Amino acid sequence: MLKALSMDPYLLADAKAVLAQAKGGDPAGLEALYRAFEVPVYNLCRRICRTAEDAEDVLQETFLEICRSIGQYREDGSLWGWIRTIAASKALMRLRRNKYRDTDELHDEVVANRREDTHLRMDLEAALERLSETSRAVVWLHDVEGYTHEEIAAMMGKTPSFSKSQLARAHARLRRWLDEGVAA
Amino acid sequence: MTHLTIEQLLALREPGAEPGAQAAREHLEACDVCRAEFDRLYQRVARLKALPALRPTRDRWPAVRARFEAERRTRRLRRFGLAGLVAAASIAAAVATRSVDRPLPAATAAELSETMARSRALEAAIDQYHPETRVLDGHTARIAQELEDRIAAVDRELEMADLMDASKRPAQELNLWRERVGLLDALVDVHLTRASNVGL
Repeated sequence: MLKALSMDPYLLADAKAVLAQAKGGDPAGLEALYRAFEVPVYNLCRRICRTAEDAEDVLQETFLEICRSIGQYREDGSLWGWIRTIAASKALMRLRRNKYRDTDELHDEVVANRREDTHLRMDLEAALERLSETSRAVVWLHDVEGYTHEEIAAMMGKTPSFSKSQLARAHARLRRWLDEGVAA
Repeated sequence: MTHLTIEQLLALREPGAEPGAQAAREHLEACDVCRAEFDRLYQRVARLKALPALRPTRDRWPAVRARFEAERRTRRLRRFGLAGLVAAASIAAAVATRSVDRPLPAATAAELSETMARSRALEAAIDQYHPETRVLDGHTARIAQELEDRIAAVDRELEMADLMDASKRPAQELNLWRERVGLLDALVDVHLTRASNVGL
């Protein structure tokens, strides 16, 4: 009989059996994990990485790592929490490797000036996309995925204050770009 | 009146009380402008959480699986290599012991030694091919996997052969080492044929 067990927050049919199969290195079990978590992992990677191509590469690296180390997953936390941490670390590593942060300041200023020169209302998706890679990563990890500033700082190799200031800066920009102040 | 900064509003959303949090809360209760700003912050975060999930345009599973299986093949080969050495050492020890008690027939001992050397040479040839860096097509990967599984089974039988009746052991061990060489030969062929087909 198939049982649908919650893997917080994603559902995986017959989760315990799939996990046991995956831990035994069975390709069918590993593929079932991929199919269950492909979209949330990609979504997280895409929100952090600059391009869709980068995000797909990180998706691939994340699942290769999952295949290698699923045997070490102790089941004392949610499976999604374990997978998400691998994905976030890989995505942040990709940012560092591509040296995106070298151009963050310039990118932020250019975008901000461009936005202030125009008075068009931007939708949230576009505004998020226009944040610098670092700011966008902090916003996503903190506000959507629920990581604390301490956890984000540890993953980024920065201080909690850095994470807090990036979040404040990002929200100030989002507010301005989204013209939220108009109604105030 | 000085309104709360975005940093102070964000800090109010955090668990625990940071310095100045109580004063900020009191201000928030009394100030309509800051309360409206705080609500907008909540709404913005709620809208972020409600953004639709983005999906990859390509299925990356075949690439993940191919790389993982290539890594697994390498690990197995390394393990077989080690198992082969362990088995060879145990046989060498057994041969040495027998030479004191009851010498092996010279022809069997020579052939066993030659077969073991051939096995090591074939493993070295496979290592030089660096199978972990190659991606095999599905059919070839299945054949390679099957051969590796059979080699692993032979290695297990070689370990068990140590427990056999001493009079039957040399012939059995020689047969198993011959089988191991045959399987390794086939595995080399699989890799070399695939390499020559794609001009590597």
